Amino acid sequence: MRNMALAFFVTLGLGLHAGAAPSNKELKIGISQEFENMNPLIMTMSATTYMYRMVGRTLDVLDADAKWVPNLAKDIPSREKGTAQIVEIGGKKKLVAHWEILENAKWGDGKPVTCEDFAFARTVAASPTVSVGEKETFTQIEKIEWDAKTPKKCVFTYEKPRWDFYQLANFFPLPKHIEGPVWEKYGKQKEGYEKNSNYVKNPTNKGLYNGPYVVTSVRLGDHVAFEPNPHFYGEKPKIEKVIVKLISNTGTMEANLRSGTIDMISTLGFALDQALAFDKKAKSEGLPYVTHFVPSITYEHIDLLLDNPILSDLKVRKALMHSINREDLVKALFEGKQSAAQHFVSPKDPWYTTDPKFVTTYRYSKREAQKLFDEAGWKVGADGYRHKGGKKLSLTFMTTAGNKTRELVQTYLQEQWKQVGVEILIKNEPAKVFFGETTRKRKFGSMAMYAWVSSPENNPRSTLHSKSIPSDKNGWSGQNNPGWVNASVDKAIDSMDTEFDAKKRMAYAWEMQKAYTEEVPVIPLYYRSDISVVPASLKNYRMPGHQFHETTEIEKWTF
Amino acid sequence: MLTYILRRIIQTLMVIILLSYVIFTIMALMPGDPVELMISSNPKITPEDVVRLREFYGLDQPAWKRYGNWVSTLAQGDLGYSRTYRVPVTDLLGPRLWNTFVLSMAAMVFSLVVAIPLGIISALKPGGKLDSFLNFFSFAGISIPSFWLGIMLIIIFAVKLGWFPAGGTQTIGLENASIWARIVDSSYFLVLPVLSLSIQGIGRFVRFTRSAMMEALRNDFIRTAKAKGLPRSVVLWKHAFRNALIPLITVVALSISSVFSGAILTETVFSYQGVGKLVFDSIIANDFNVAMVSFIISISMVLLMNLVADILYGFADPRISYS
Repeated sequence: MRNMALAFFVTLGLGLHAGAAPSNKELKIGISQEFENMNPLIMTMSATTYMYRMVGRTLDVLDADAKWVPNLAKDIPSREKGTAQIVEIGGKKKLVAHWEILENAKWGDGKPVTCEDFAFARTVAASPTVSVGEKETFTQIEKIEWDAKTPKKCVFTYEKPRWDFYQLANFFPLPKHIEGPVWEKYGKQKEGYEKNSNYVKNPTNKGLYNGPYVVTSVRLGDHVAFEPNPHFYGEKPKIEKVIVKLISNTGTMEANLRSGTIDMISTLGFALDQALAFDKKAKSEGLPYVTHFVPSITYEHIDLLLDNPILSDLKVRKALMHSINREDLVKALFEGKQSAAQHFVSPKDPWYTTDPKFVTTYRYSKREAQKLFDEAGWKVGADGYRHKGGKKLSLTFMTTAGNKTRELVQTYLQEQWKQVGVEILIKNEPAKVFFGETTRKRKFGSMAMYAWVSSPENNPRSTLHSKSIPSDKNGWSGQNNPGWVNASVDKAIDSMDTEFDAKKRMAYAWEMQKAYTEEVPVIPLYYRSDISVVPASLKNYRMPGHQFHETTEIEKWTF
Repeated sequence: MLTYILRRIIQTLMVIILLSYVIFTIMALMPGDPVELMISSNPKITPEDVVRLREFYGLDQPAWKRYGNWVSTLAQGDLGYSRTYRVPVTDLLGPRLWNTFVLSMAAMVFSLVVAIPLGIISALKPGGKLDSFLNFFSFAGISIPSFWLGIMLIIIFAVKLGWFPAGGTQTIGLENASIWARIVDSSYFLVLPVLSLSIQGIGRFVRFTRSAMMEALRNDFIRTAKAKGLPRSVVLWKHAFRNALIPLITVVALSISSVFSGAILTETVFSYQGVGKLVFDSIIANDFNVAMVSFIISISMVLLMNLVADILYGFADPRISYS
C-alpha cells in the first residue's frame, strides 16, 4: 500500500513527456466547440465557419486589419472605380456591380470557379426548401449574369442600392458541376438538397472546395483533417497536414496540449481565466507556447429593462453608471487583457469614437451617483439601502449560470452598487433558459448581462431599432431586449443602409453612439478578447478579433 | 415461456410509446430551439429569418402535431435529420453508438473479470486482512469521481509518461489501414477511458459478489455439501456461486442496459466520440430527432435487459418458471 502511494507521487513528479515539436509536416489544432457538416450555405456553427475558411473562399473578406480585401475576385467593385453603378430598373433603384473572378481560381478537382457557381449558390439559398440561416446575404442579389465566353466576369444586380453591397464574405459559391445533379434530383423536396448534398454524403470530394486546403477526413464530434489543395489560386500552403480536433472539455484541453495530442488551441478553445492561468505557467515553466489576447468585437454589457419603473428613470440609470469602476474591474479581473467598453461599437470598428461631442462618459464617482439617486428621490435608509415611497431600491441581476467570468463580474458589481445603497439580487439561469426564454421574452426583471457579437460597420438594427423589441406580436424576434425607443436612432438606422457617403454613415453611427451613451439603455462593461495558444515557432499567425477567423490566412502559416 | 415473452414484448412497446410521448412533450416545453443557436453565432440573422426558420422546422406547431410528424417519419424507417449537425441521425448516431458500446462493454467485462474472483475471495474469509483491503479498495473505487480519476489518468499516463493518448477514439489518418491495425490502434485509445470507468465498476461488483456469495455460503445446503465430502471447488462454484448468481444477474443486466446510454463524464474528459455527450448536447440544443432516438434506444435497452434477466433467472434457478 505504502509502495503504491509512493509510486503514485513519484509518477506525478516525473518530467513532462515531450511530444514531437510541431513542424510544417503536421499541425493539430484544438477546438472546444462542436461542428456540423461543411455545406457553406447551411453551416451556422462558429467551429464550422472556422474550418470552412481553410477550404472555401469568397469574392472578398474582411482581413486581420479589418479591411475588405479581394479573395476569389480580382478586385472589389466600387462606384468610384466605375465597376458599380446605381441604375433604375422598372422605376426602382438598383445596384449593378461587376465582379471578376481570378483566372486561376479553381475547385479542388481542377474545374474553374465561375459565375455559374455563384448563381447556383444563390438559387439554392433562395429556395424555400433549403434552411439557410441568413438568407438576405443571397437574396439581396436579384440576379447574376455573365457572357458564356467570359464565365468569370459576373454582373451582380442587387435588389437595393446598399452601400455595403461589396461585403460578400458569407456568399460562398457552390460547385455546380458536383452539387447541380443533387439539386436537380432533390431540390424540390423540403430539406431534400441539404440531406443529400455531397457535403453530407461525400465530404472528402476535393471538388467541393476552392480554398488552400481540401478536406481529407471528417468525423463529426471528433476531428476534421485537411491537406493542401493543389489547385489553390493563391499562395501555396506551407503546412502539409492540418487536423482540427474537438476537445469539448476545456479542462483537459491543456493536458492534450502538453501531451502533444494537439499543437495549438484555437480561438474556439480556452476561456479567459484558463488562458491567464496557462500564460503564467507557460512563462514560468518555459513552455514553447505563446498565448495571444486580441481585442475583439464581442461586447459584454448589461441590458436594463426599461419597462421596470425604477430603471425607466434616466437619473437612476446614470447613477448606476457612475457607481461602477469599469477600468478597475478589467484590471482586477482580467489583468488588463480585456478593455472597458464605452458603448456598443468596438475600437476595432471604423465607426468607433470617444469624442466627447458624441460620447457621454461616466467616470467612477460615488458622490455623483449618490447625488443622482437623491435627485431621483431614492434616499438612504437606516438599513444602508435607498428607499422611495416605502420601496427599497432593489434590482435583479441575471446572467448565465456557471460562467465563471460573468459570475465574478456580478459579484464585483454587486459590491460596488451596494456601496451606494442599491440592493442587487443575483438570479442566474442555465444559458438555455436565460437566452431561450428570459432575455428573448424580456423576462429578466431589471438587468441581464451577456454579450453581443457584431461586425465592423454593422447596422445595429436588430439590437437598437424600436421595431426589434421582442414581443408576442413579432414572434419574440429582434434583440432590442431593453425595449429602447429613440426616434432619431430609428431614423439613422433606416437611413444608413442606402447611404453611400462614408462620412454621412459615420455621422449616423456617431449619432447613435451619442443617444446610446446619453440615454443609457444598456450598461457597457468590456470588450472581450479573442484568445489562442500557439507554438512559439509558428509564424505569420494573425488573429483578426472579428467573425472572419484567423484561418482566412492559413496558407501563410509556417514553422 | 413464449407467451410470457410475447406478453412482455407487447408491454415493452406500450411503455416505449407512452414514454416517448411524455419525453417529447417535456422537451417541447423546454426553452430555446436550434434557431436560438443560429442567432447567437450570426449577428446578421434578421427577425424575418427567425420567423421563417421556426416555420421551416415546424417549431411553430403544437407539440402533439410535431410528435405525430416524428412518429410517422419513424414509421417509414427514417430516423430523421439532426438540426444541429445537419446530417441524418443514422449517420450521426451509428458510429457513436458503436464506440459507446465498445467502451462500456470493455469496461464491464474487465470489471466483471476482476471483480467476481475478488468478491469471492473476499467472501471466503470475511473480516480477514485481504477482505479488509479489498473492501477499502472497493469503497475507494466507488467513491472516486470518474472525472477526477480521468483527469489523473491523463496527467500520469498521457502528459507525464506519454504511454497513452490523452483523448480521442483513434489515430487520425488511420481510417484506411487494415482492420487489425485499426483494432490495435483503437484499443490503445480505449485503455485510459476503460480503466477510468472500470475502477468504479470493479468496486461495485466486488461488493455485490461478496455479499451474494456470503449469503449463499450461509445456506444449509452448503453445509450438507461440505459434509458429503464434495471437493471445495464443487461446493464453491456449483453450489454457492450458482446461487449467488441471481442478484448478480440483476445487477449485470441493469448495467448492460446502460451500455448505449453512454458515460458522459468519461467521454467528455477523454474526448471519446461516444453517444453520452451527443445526447446531452442534443437535449440542450433541442435537437429532437437525435435526443428522441437516443431515448428510445435507452428505454428499449432497460426494458429488454430486464426481460433477459427474468429469463436468465430461470436458467440459474430451476425453481423459477414462467410456464
